[in-house]
Amino acid sequence: MNDNATETTAPAETPKHDVIMIGAGPAALAAAIYTTREDIDTLLFERGVVGGLAAVTDKVDNYPGFADGIEGLTLADNLRQQAERFGAVIELGEVTAIHDEGEYKRLETTSGDMLARAVLIATGSDYKKVGVPGEKEYYARGVHYCATCDGAFYRDKRLVVVGGGNSAVQETMFLTRFASHIDLLVRSTIKASDVLQKDLEDYVASGKVTVHLATTTDEILGEKIDNIDKVTKVIGTKDGQKVEFETDGVFVFVGLDPNSGFLKDTAVELDPIGFVRTDDHLHTAIPGVFAAGDIRSGATMQIASAVGEGATAALLIREYLEGRKVAPAAVELAPAPHAS
Amino acid sequence: MPKNITIFTTNTCGYCVMVKKYLGAKGHDYEEVNLDQHPERQAEALSLSGALTVPVTVVTKQDDSREVIVGYNLAKLAPAVAA
Repeated sequence: MNDNATETTAPAETPKHDVIMIGAGPAALAAAIYTTREDIDTLLFERGVVGGLAAVTDKVDNYPGFADGIEGLTLADNLRQQAERFGAVIELGEVTAIHDEGEYKRLETTSGDMLARAVLIATGSDYKKVGVPGEKEYYARGVHYCATCDGAFYRDKRLVVVGGGNSAVQETMFLTRFASHIDLLVRSTIKASDVLQKDLEDYVASGKVTVHLATTTDEILGEKIDNIDKVTKVIGTKDGQKVEFETDGVFVFVGLDPNSGFLKDTAVELDPIGFVRTDDHLHTAIPGVFAAGDIRSGATMQIASAVGEGATAALLIREYLEGRKVAPAAVELAPAPHAS
Repeated sequence: MPKNITIFTTNTCGYCVMVKKYLGAKGHDYEEVNLDQHPERQAEALSLSGALTVPVTVVTKQDDSREVIVGYNLAKLAPAVAA
């Protein structure tokens, strides 16, 4: 052996996959069930909870096939198990950028760069902030966005819930397991489904929940009690008059914000709110990059819709990989209004 | 490897499942304190984290120093249990 010889190591090849799905909520998990059953090599990246917002929802009552409803966490776990049974691999990490390099898309991830022939963006959305003084200051110390995570800290305490959509009403009812009383502050009128509104009536009748319609949430106040910062009061406005609600905590469910920050400097088109624009075939402005579920502009923000879009995306991705559809149609830039 | 890991959880917390899943995947043993079953330990979780939330993961290192990770935060959890 030549003493002067030096061993060289070839640079590690960038991992390649047929499909990388960004997110592992209902849309991506449904898509993965379909792609993996077709032997399409599929990797999912999830930076948060597998199952997405569904996994942190107390009960899902409107997902078909479960006559008595199903716990969100159970539904999410069932979807995960089903996808993994067919070979889907879920990596706990984050995709931070997408680069279009022709046949392959290069994804920058927390596990290093990866290449994929097709990409499904299914990053969903997170609960929106109400945007009032005190909200940021008391985050996780009296202001919360996850009832199933943090509700247990409010046994026999008073709570305020902000919002009037399905999530606000559903989570208000969940929180009654712990709280002694809940003031539900609704900016205009309740937009939740009729079924949820009817369920809520029982809690109102029992005195457990008081609904305050046409009431804005203006400020969250607190003070140091036993050396710990605690929320004590919510200030709002009703009929032009200042109103105050004594409380130990505030849960906010006022809509959804898209998880699309990592797409801002890419060719993927976003609508003014930040949701991903696609054509009728769920194709974004980058060939081979698709979007499905809550992240898609015009999405109805329903688990059943996300699952349906995931399945559709998988079939369209298969067509794309087989070369039957190589470029996106011109993206129509008129999204449907978002459902509440 | 950490000396020990304790996770404060609740029955319905999806993020708690993710922390347990991550630690399990990395081969770490942990003690779970379920605050639904042990509400008397809520004050302990609050005192450690300064937050009324779960999961709270307490990683005790070999030198007995402690790191507390609030929520499911891989950017903090991964290096804390790897050290």
